[in-house]
Amino acid sequence: MPTLDFLTRLSFLAAMPAVAGIFITASILLISQEWRLNIIALAAQYFFVVLLMTRLIRLEMAVIKGLVGWIVCMVFYLTERRVSSLIPTPPLESSRWRRWIMSARTFFYLLAGLLVSVVAYTAAARIPLPEIPEDISLACYLMASLGILMMGMNEEPVPVGFGLLTFLTAFDLFYVALEPSLAVAGLLEAVSFMIALSVTYLRAAQAATMASATPSSPTSSDTKTISGMVEGQESLS
Amino acid sequence: MIAGSLLLLLLPLALAGVVYILLRWETLSALVATGGAFLLGMAVITLPLDQPIRLWGRRPITIAMGETVTILGRELTVEPSDRIAIAMLFFTAAGIFLVAWRMSPRSLLFPIGLGLLSLLTGALLIRPVVYAALFIEIAAALSVFALQSENTHSTRGSLRYLTFATLALPGLLVSQWLLERYVFTPDDTSLLSTAGILTILSFALLLGVVPFHTWILSVIGDSLPLAGVFILTVNNDAIWFLLLDFLEKYPQMFQQTEAGSVIITAGLIMIIAGGLLATAQRRLGLLIGYAVLVDNGAMLIALGLNSKVGVMLIFLSMLIRPFSLIPLASGLSGIQTSNAGNDRQQSLRSVGWRVLWSVAALVMGSLSIVGFPVSAGFAWRWALYRALVPTHIGLVLVLLGASLAVMSGFWRMIWVLLDRPRSPLNRRVLPIPSAEKGWTVVVLATVILVCLGIGLMPQTVASLTLDLVESYTFFMQ
Repeated sequence: MPTLDFLTRLSFLAAMPAVAGIFITASILLISQEWRLNIIALAAQYFFVVLLMTRLIRLEMAVIKGLVGWIVCMVFYLTERRVSSLIPTPPLESSRWRRWIMSARTFFYLLAGLLVSVVAYTAAARIPLPEIPEDISLACYLMASLGILMMGMNEEPVPVGFGLLTFLTAFDLFYVALEPSLAVAGLLEAVSFMIALSVTYLRAAQAATMASATPSSPTSSDTKTISGMVEGQESLS
Repeated sequence: MIAGSLLLLLLPLALAGVVYILLRWETLSALVATGGAFLLGMAVITLPLDQPIRLWGRRPITIAMGETVTILGRELTVEPSDRIAIAMLFFTAAGIFLVAWRMSPRSLLFPIGLGLLSLLTGALLIRPVVYAALFIEIAAALSVFALQSENTHSTRGSLRYLTFATLALPGLLVSQWLLERYVFTPDDTSLLSTAGILTILSFALLLGVVPFHTWILSVIGDSLPLAGVFILTVNNDAIWFLLLDFLEKYPQMFQQTEAGSVIITAGLIMIIAGGLLATAQRRLGLLIGYAVLVDNGAMLIALGLNSKVGVMLIFLSMLIRPFSLIPLASGLSGIQTSNAGNDRQQSLRSVGWRVLWSVAALVMGSLSIVGFPVSAGFAWRWALYRALVPTHIGLVLVLLGASLAVMSGFWRMIWVLLDRPRSPLNRRVLPIPSAEKGWTVVVLATVILVCLGIGLMPQTVASLTLDLVESYTFFMQ
């Protein structure tokens, strides 16, 4: 199969480069508030995890796990697209963009992410996970710790959902080496998919409540009000 | 021939689909959900396990409750020990659906609740525990759809529950793997102690032990109250049965980690935290959450007794808890509905006069959850006090103090709810028309009477604990 050949050719990445990729994508998920970038980062994270999994399980099974992950990304994309049509977000002005780059929130999340990554690196060196190579152990620790950080520092459904999925992917990467059963692998993928569905349902329900707070055809002042609500929500989170 | 376990897995799922289609007709959907759950509960208890039953029709169907069926390469059989546990889940769900008919009509609680029953029954029947843990996690993700009420912006309750359930999953799966390895290397006791720690941590997350208790508060305070009660009774019962199965299968794991003292300490912390924080609460939903926290702490103390009596007390608590929480949640639902979804103390002044029956249910539920005499909760609390007095008199005093603190919180809320509004001109008492009519009053009155009835005749449920405890032999004394 051409797709699987393509993955075989990329096997040289299935070591520290993939771990670095996982670190970067998980950090983007932690820091960024831009939903398009986040979904791309999540899809890339699943790609790097599939690369690492090919060293532990059969290529076909790893690809199926990756496919489930990419379907999860599609679910998030469709939901966010629908939500953005319900709640129009204000256009990014140059000053606003600069504020995002310089914001205290970004620096705080970056610092917290770096600190947690150092802890994960130390843990991977001191308490390596059984039955898996050291670099994969590091990837598991990084994803699990950054996933927990995402869950702990957010109260909005989608960032928490990204955290849950990152944490669960870390565990999946470790557990495939321990339990080769197809039934367990299938149920774990079902768990990931159910989490994605639940989180997107919450996001949609939240957006519907916000949209129903305004008349059916929003005027420019209404749009400002909704944008204000979104901004207020962002500042709270 | 249809195997009983297959029937218990598939029929609730099929009913969930039917109920979802019927959801626009509130009475019909509630009737199908309540009747379906009740009849399945009756079937589990009454149909014999050792002989098939023929249902007559054009094409006779044979149901064999004790027949083994293979799903995912695993055998599922309804054992005699599972019957009361499964029936308990179905009967509790039926009671919640009946109340939800008037208090949360057309909510997703009906179809999702039936789906949850199927998954949790699967979790109780399937072995090894890896599959049960995965089923419980899928059930937690599914619960989100029932917990999120349509007109609420806050998603905190459902998100927190999902987060803690997900965090608990790895510990259960890895501990099972460690225990399988321990069978081959019995000299390596580190495997056993690691598995014990992971299991205790996972169940602490699932049962909301302090400091992982925040989901309990949010599930009641920030979600649909009756869906929260579903989680705190039906889902919680399934987790307790899973924990007891763990104890039954691997008793040495808990002896290795000196779990008894750890469990009692955790229970004590929950009781103290719940009691102290309950007095400071200004939201009715959160107050109920703290009352549940104290009750959960008492259950952990019963488990920490390391005796057969302790296990009996846990079952008694599980059987009685719905009779405390359903009145509380129906009272909270009624009050929230009449007050635009708000349950803050400052907004509740005089609201009670509009929903007197809901306030009565709240009073009954609050008396029961703290174990006040003549209410349903008294039976289990009194039995716990009697078991603790000879050896742990201090724990009894702490539990009594926490119960009083919780009661004082409820008393303050009820005082505010029933504050009589007066005319600013001549101080004349203003008349307030009741917002509760017809079937709502009948349902609320039934809830109150049932709670009172169980309080007066606790032996009706207490006798079931003897049958339940026979299946667990890890505490021989």
